[in-house]
Amino acid sequence: MIGLQFACEIEGRMNGHAKNMHLKKSMKSIATLLSFLLLMAVHSTRMVGASRNHPCRKTLQRTFKLAKVVQSEASELFIIYKASQGEGSEFLCTAPVNNIPDPNISGLEASERISSIYTHLQSFIPHLKRVYEQQTDLQLPTSPMLPKLLGVSANSRNLALSINDFYHRAFPNLPLPEPAGGPTTLPPPLNVFQQKVYGCMVLKTYKEFTSNVSKEFKSFRGKVCRRRMKTNALF
Amino acid sequence: VNRGCLWTCILLFLFSSDFQSHLLTLPQNPVIEIGTNFTATCLISNTVEVTADDLYWKLSNVTISRDQYRKVNSTALSVTFIHGISLRTGYRPEKPENLSCISFQKEDKSFSSLQCSWETTRRQTPTVPVQFRLRVMEVLSTITKDHWAEVKLSPYPFHMELEVWVEAVNQLGAAESVHLRKEAQHFVKTNPPEVTVTSEKSFPTSLLLNWTPPVNQVFVKLTYQIRFCSPKSPGWSHVPLPDINDQRNFRLQGLRAYTPYTVQVRCRDMENPHGYWSDWSQNKTTTTPEDKPSSTPDLWRTVVYNGTSERLVQIICKDPEFPNGRITRFEVKVEKQRDRAWNQSEGWKSVLVNRSEAEDAETSITLLEQTSLSNLESVKVSVVAVNSLGRSPEASLILPVKLPDHARVEELKVWPHEGQLVVEWKPLRNKLLSGYVVEWLSEGRLDWRRVSKTSNRTLTGRLDPFVCYNVSVYPVFSRGIGKPVQMSAYVEQGAPLRGPTVKLNGKPGHNEAELVWEEIPLRDRRGFITKYAVFYKLGEEIRGRTSVAVPANSMSLKLESLMGDSQYEAWVQASTAAGSTNGSHHSFITMKYAAGTIEAISLGAGLVILLVFLFGIYKRDLVKHLWPRVPDGRQSSIGTWSPDCSMKAEPPKESCVSGISVLVSMCESQSGFEEDKASLSLRKDKYTSEEHSSGIGGSSCMSSPRQSVSDSDEGADMTDTTASTVQYSSVVASSAYKGQTPGSQPQHSVFSRSESTQPLLDSEETVDTFVQEASGRFERLPPQDITCSEVFGPPDGEQLDCCQEADELQSDGRTAPSSYMPQLGGYKPQ
Repeated sequence: MIGLQFACEIEGRMNGHAKNMHLKKSMKSIATLLSFLLLMAVHSTRMVGASRNHPCRKTLQRTFKLAKVVQSEASELFIIYKASQGEGSEFLCTAPVNNIPDPNISGLEASERISSIYTHLQSFIPHLKRVYEQQTDLQLPTSPMLPKLLGVSANSRNLALSINDFYHRAFPNLPLPEPAGGPTTLPPPLNVFQQKVYGCMVLKTYKEFTSNVSKEFKSFRGKVCRRRMKTNALF
Repeated sequence: VNRGCLWTCILLFLFSSDFQSHLLTLPQNPVIEIGTNFTATCLISNTVEVTADDLYWKLSNVTISRDQYRKVNSTALSVTFIHGISLRTGYRPEKPENLSCISFQKEDKSFSSLQCSWETTRRQTPTVPVQFRLRVMEVLSTITKDHWAEVKLSPYPFHMELEVWVEAVNQLGAAESVHLRKEAQHFVKTNPPEVTVTSEKSFPTSLLLNWTPPVNQVFVKLTYQIRFCSPKSPGWSHVPLPDINDQRNFRLQGLRAYTPYTVQVRCRDMENPHGYWSDWSQNKTTTTPEDKPSSTPDLWRTVVYNGTSERLVQIICKDPEFPNGRITRFEVKVEKQRDRAWNQSEGWKSVLVNRSEAEDAETSITLLEQTSLSNLESVKVSVVAVNSLGRSPEASLILPVKLPDHARVEELKVWPHEGQLVVEWKPLRNKLLSGYVVEWLSEGRLDWRRVSKTSNRTLTGRLDPFVCYNVSVYPVFSRGIGKPVQMSAYVEQGAPLRGPTVKLNGKPGHNEAELVWEEIPLRDRRGFITKYAVFYKLGEEIRGRTSVAVPANSMSLKLESLMGDSQYEAWVQASTAAGSTNGSHHSFITMKYAAGTIEAISLGAGLVILLVFLFGIYKRDLVKHLWPRVPDGRQSSIGTWSPDCSMKAEPPKESCVSGISVLVSMCESQSGFEEDKASLSLRKDKYTSEEHSSGIGGSSCMSSPRQSVSDSDEGADMTDTTASTVQYSSVVASSAYKGQTPGSQPQHSVFSRSESTQPLLDSEETVDTFVQEASGRFERLPPQDITCSEVFGPPDGEQLDCCQEADELQSDGRTAPSSYMPQLGGYKPQ
């Protein structure tokens, strides 16, 4: 009996305390729920930002891969070109040739450098076309160099399209400048040797350029499209 | 369907041909959806000379009734065709489904086109076909009527997003498939990589794989899949995809040494999990380097002979499970237990393995030793296998003296499963148990498999069908091999190769025959015999065979209820669970009579003959015995004869001596009647032997005291006969009765003889002495001397016991001629 009374007293005292405890527990639960909802909101915002940014990164990635394809094909093309020019091909690329675009990329900001890549690429495409025309006359129709040259030209155009797409996604408020100075200046009619030298220099320069482009886009990875994501995160 | 031949708008006028150019039918190119009405209108243009009333419609060559026309205005006349009219009909194109595209890599490693295929319900009509246009990037397109198309893409636009879709178009409309948007490389299916496999001596359990990607990874970054197998593996083993990190090589590890492995590699676009896998590369097979054996040889024994005091045991073994090279020899050591210690009798002994390349080392069994062991000694055999790189761990086997019977496995079950036998048993609970050996033996071929002590089931491996296997399960204890439990089983049963050869057991009976057959040889049995069926039929019958089922453990059957004197054909059919086979046919003929019948008939006939014979012999005695004759004095008479008695027979007279009769056999008499000759001759034939045996030559009847007396060869019989026979005849001197003879009778010597079988009366006995003398004298008389004729005077109504013919003659009522000639010479002195 004594034990039972003691138990009843304890229960009576605990009744008031239990109410306070329930209130505190409820408050705690609400706070936890609100925190969770806030976290969810932030996370979803980030997710939205990330999902919004996904096409940019995807385009960057695709452009980078395409730049590597063009670089690889340009290197291969240059080797095939030299092999197809006969004896003395080592000396073809030593003679200076004017009006060939600079293989180096200029600009400080990413947008500027991408613009530079784009304009240079646009400038190279007519030269590649001219080399193809010249080599069509110089090579046999079965020469593997000709389709390769066509392929490089086509992929270069695709790369230009992809860079354009990427630029507009990465810098939607910045217009992509067209090549300065108007249309690309092509060389005047040349003799066979000059054509070979010209073609060699174009392809060599183009190979260097595409190599630079690949490196440049590799450096963009993790930089260009993240800025937008940060903005979203802050929001 | 041609518009012109379907419906035509024609002018009624004769000069209609001049105005035909002014008529125009609408619509010009009518394609009508199925289920809708169609209205055609004829318009008159550029002339006022004709009106709508001058027009009529023709459908093909049939003029359409005017009540179906509707005059729109003076220059237009329309007609509406409703259901049932043949029109160019078709279906609206449906949306192409399941569009998929693929770009195959060519031999020159280039990709130059995109092939796409799709599905439709193919609901279209020949008159309104559906055309499909495959569009890529809204620039490239190709048109086809098939469900696939190819678009040339040169150069292949790697890393460029392609949008691909299909338009289905016909005259009733168009429908578009869903648009596929993928980067171009996700459509590719590359060639398989080129693979090389290298084995390195220092790594006997691994192989190094190198391969060349089929395409530069700047175009498509590939992931690879590797699979390999060895002859001992059941199928291909795949390397988990995440394990293949490097893009050019991979090292397969954990392989078996000295084992050929075949390797294949394939690849696909790494970024597209749903991309197309290339085909598997060509097989590249390389053998892993050799290593020393890593497991023990599989040691076992077989008891060739098991006597009461000793046993002949063969120690055999198989190569280790992991020989890791070519086993060149085994080293064997035999130890005998003495005083609970193993004493090594001889050292290690080498057994060279001479095995051809073609032999399968895994299944080859090597005989290590054949030894005769006493049943009172335990033997421990130890073996190691040796290859060019070293020795295997040691395997040992103890052949114990005797193990208790209760250390057997129980509830052994064996059943076939996919060309193998599943052997299952109830596991033993014994602390000393180290495992089991499952052994199967057939037609002298032995094989076995070791099973761990925790297992109670195993498979035998692939076995031959239709072969009986004796499966034994031995428990193996730390102190030796236990006693086995055996069971026979087939992997697959078939009908017996041949049936039992049946034959008769002994000779067939009148209506029964016993068939026996031998057990079919085990090799030809091809299954467990479940039963026999004996078929038999009458030889001539094509149908109507009878069958009798016989249990499998019986090898004979007695056929009953057969027809006598008939040819039967019988054969035995043996059955297994899988079928039945008939044996050779055997014909037999049942006996005409049942066994014993002939013997019974013969015996009966013999008995009858014997009885007749005996009756013939003992007839007189028997008659006398059965019907004893009581002497009747009144019937007796005394015959009188004299040497010169008249040939004329005189009937007995009342005056004759009463009670005495004189009977003379007629058998020998020369009958004077011709009609009697035949009957007499018949009887003569019948009784020839008796006639010859007769000393008198006259008495033919089978029993006559005179006959017996005259037969010198039968002295004993004669003695018996005479002894047993009462002499009933007596000869009386006529002088004694002379006074009684009628006076007319001439005076001469007369002898009277009684042949009555009855005992003589007292009056007769008085002349015994004389009778005997006379009798003796009579017997000595030669037959030709008998000249006296006898007077027959049988008793009234009583037959004579002599011959039948005499009776017959008497019955004729005629006087029988005297068969005796007067005995002048013989009796003169009397």
